[in-house]
Amino acid sequence: MTSASRTRPLADAGTYVVQVAAALLTLAPFALSVLTSLKAPVQFASTSPLSLPNPVTVENYLTLFDGSRVDFGSALGLTAAMVVVVLAGQLVFSIMAAYAFARLEFPGRDLLFWVYLATLMVPPVVTVVPLYLMMVQLGLRNTFSGLVLPYLLGSPYAVFLLREFFRGIPSELTDAARIDGAGTWRTLLHIVVPLSRPVIATLAIITVVTHANNFLWPLIITSGDELQVLTTATASLQGRFNANWTLVTAATTVAMLPLMAVFLAFSRRIVDSIQITGFR
Amino acid sequence: MHEPSSGARTRPGRRRARLREAVAGYGLLAPSLVGIVAFLVVPILVAIGLSFYKWDLLSRPRFVGLTNWAAVGTDPALLNSAAVTIAYVLLVIPLQTVLGIALAVLLHRGLPGSAGLRSILVLPWVCAPLALGIVWKWIFAPTDGALNALLGTSIAWLSDPDLALPAVAFVAVWSQAGYVALFFLAGLAAIPASVLEAAQLDGAGAVRTFWYVTLPLLRPTLFFVLVTTTISAFQAFDSIYAGATNVVAMQIYTSAFKTFDMGRAAALAVALFVVLVLISLAQQLYFRRRITYDLS
Repeated sequence: MTSASRTRPLADAGTYVVQVAAALLTLAPFALSVLTSLKAPVQFASTSPLSLPNPVTVENYLTLFDGSRVDFGSALGLTAAMVVVVLAGQLVFSIMAAYAFARLEFPGRDLLFWVYLATLMVPPVVTVVPLYLMMVQLGLRNTFSGLVLPYLLGSPYAVFLLREFFRGIPSELTDAARIDGAGTWRTLLHIVVPLSRPVIATLAIITVVTHANNFLWPLIITSGDELQVLTTATASLQGRFNANWTLVTAATTVAMLPLMAVFLAFSRRIVDSIQITGFR
Repeated sequence: MHEPSSGARTRPGRRRARLREAVAGYGLLAPSLVGIVAFLVVPILVAIGLSFYKWDLLSRPRFVGLTNWAAVGTDPALLNSAAVTIAYVLLVIPLQTVLGIALAVLLHRGLPGSAGLRSILVLPWVCAPLALGIVWKWIFAPTDGALNALLGTSIAWLSDPDLALPAVAFVAVWSQAGYVALFFLAGLAAIPASVLEAAQLDGAGAVRTFWYVTLPLLRPTLFFVLVTTTISAFQAFDSIYAGATNVVAMQIYTSAFKTFDMGRAAALAVALFVVLVLISLAQQLYFRRRITYDLS
């Protein structure tokens, strides 16, 4: 493709113009909101929304963490705890199920796999009301357990993605392990999981992004100030201090920053991950 | 999928091995099976049952037959939310798909710097839609928002009924076009260069090659992208929460947790689910009928 482009300077120039425009348009909202979050409320009220912060101040960020309004420190901690627990549960239980579907033979396997596939279609918006009622029955409303339980035991999507990958692992490798006397668990842990690192990393990224950014379920299952994650804390701050944009943009920045940091560290991996999931 | 081989060679040892494998299989499956049944299958059944009741969480649920279902078809607020959602989907999906393909084609040229742009374009995907929705709410704010400052106007973007929906749709396209482009980029990379060269040798120009060769070969990607993005667009909630546009997901949320009408929320949720299943089936049929190409 580069050989063709070298001979077409006009097309190259056009491509660059559009690419730069797309990059600027993507980045501008982030840049503008970060600039606003670094302004004193007095400056924001008296100068153009597009002006640079003068002086630069972090008072909005300090307000988020001093516990006087919505406590972003504990929201950050709770979000991290929720993501870690859900990620661990999803990986372990989805890997187990995917291996059973990919490599073991047992009666009812294909029927059960069909059930998993069918639930891929179920949208979260449809299940939240019954899930909420179930959690109320279990006494788990407004608890950490209630927050993580519906996602802890694996997801059909994860099982599907992993099963496709596991099926591609040469069966000679798993058979050889079995002949050497390795049981199901050892084969899974020492052969299948190490060979599946790329797809497991992909799944981990998708799970972290999905659950760190989940809003609907935390909004519904938690109430009050003590059990807020970053998304619900941001929404509640925005609801209470609606026109206080310097504070609100500081909150959105804090809400987006952890994943942006992850993103910067793994951007190549993430881009590849998204593309892997497109091949079904 | 291979069936277990026939019982011709069944000996006690073999039978025991098979039993052991079945036990291992069910053991490995057990946790996720419990999760999928308890948190996906049962909730659907509960939602269906609940849609025939009136329940405010405090008094006893009261059987009301098809009342909630009649409301889904007649209640002006619900019909309005359905219309708004459909308009939203019809604005977002074509725009972001065309834009995604266009960006992918440009990125596919592989000029220096493309990798960097690819990363930038995915940035909105890693950010919470809720937080992005709030950022854009500020950008669209009438007096102290960035957009009006930039244009020198004082337009109430989000409270003007004619502008609110396009504004919200624009935000969705802004945040997803890059993500969608990545799928098409992967699709383009899978097209063998020889096919495109053959078209060019036959005298087809860039536009004709794209239209008659590249685009048909992108059909599997297009199918995947359309199905997944349409399903999620019909459920849009987070990014719209701050702007309070009346989409179906918002109606489900307010019915259940603001007016505490669980039956109505359930009926609406099940109706949305049915619509999504029908749309996916229709898309599947449409793409099935079209020719698919095997390039392997």
